[in-house]
Amino acid sequence: MSFLFGKNASKTFKPKKNIPEGSHGYELMQHAAVTLGSGNLRLAVALPEGEDLNEWVAVNTVDFFNQINMLYGTITEFCTEDTCAVMSAGPKYEYHWADGQTVKKPIKCSAPKYIDYLMSWVQDQLDDENLFPSKIGVPFPRNFLSSAKTILKRLFRVYAHIYHQHFKEVMQLSEEAHLNTSFKHFIYFVQEFNLIERRELAPLQELIDKLTSKER
Amino acid sequence: ESEEKEILRKDSTVRNYSPAAYKFFMEQHVENLLKNHAQRITRKMQLEKEMAKVKLSEDAQLQMRRMLQQKESNYIRMKRSKMKKDMFEKIKKLG
Ligand SMILES: [Zn+2]
Repeated sequence: MSFLFGKNASKTFKPKKNIPEGSHGYELMQHAAVTLGSGNLRLAVALPEGEDLNEWVAVNTVDFFNQINMLYGTITEFCTEDTCAVMSAGPKYEYHWADGQTVKKPIKCSAPKYIDYLMSWVQDQLDDENLFPSKIGVPFPRNFLSSAKTILKRLFRVYAHIYHQHFKEVMQLSEEAHLNTSFKHFIYFVQEFNLIERRELAPLQELIDKLTSKER
Repeated sequence: ESEEKEILRKDSTVRNYSPAAYKFFMEQHVENLLKNHAQRITRKMQLEKEMAKVKLSEDAQLQMRRMLQQKESNYIRMKRSKMKKDMFEKIKKLG
């Protein structure tokens, strides 16, 4: 399947000039309704009967990481030092990178750098056998859930950046339904188990309300 | 200079993906998600039906339910490590 994976969008799509923040809010809300499939994802996120919560959160966290990694991989050429000199989600939210372990003092950096730090950091967490045991029978550590919350909180910021700064490109690539579905799944999941604090979700609160209003 | 950036990118977690690949992945993924959800319920119901048919004791029923739950749990753990491996394979092919 290697033909499916490549950097082929560059010929068809040219990066748009930096869109003034807030100008595409209407568009974003208008297209929020477009999703894939007709099944109810809300039911599918619930903890299956008898399942261990950590196990369920673990498999879904890996899943969201993969989805977001691929999604961001489709727009990397539009997310550059020039277009996104700071990591932001709209005019009101700016993020500085710190992982609390190796980088304690927050670094102000461009969005591509920030997202690269973020995704590499998440990858390291997922690869940590002590945190995400992959062998049958090995238990999760006691701090697993709080670690997973931090991972999901940070992954959310990639969605927030893409929605606020790159929705135009997402539409040009005709992947808005895919993004919406991915994000909706993510939101259903974190809402189900209360994994991200409300104030962290603020940059996309309006969208969240719209995406989740129909199937409540 | 952009080529240099490409090379730097190869060493990071962030990769280029074609929109077609992403879209294909997501479409399959949502379908599978709903399918897996439904199938897990079906397996549970099937077990209950079978157990009722052969009139198992309460204790034995409890045991059987636990066994199925353990199997399901192991299955998603295996799926998790496979998901990571699959991504890695794709990335290797790209590189
Ligand atoms: Zn960007």
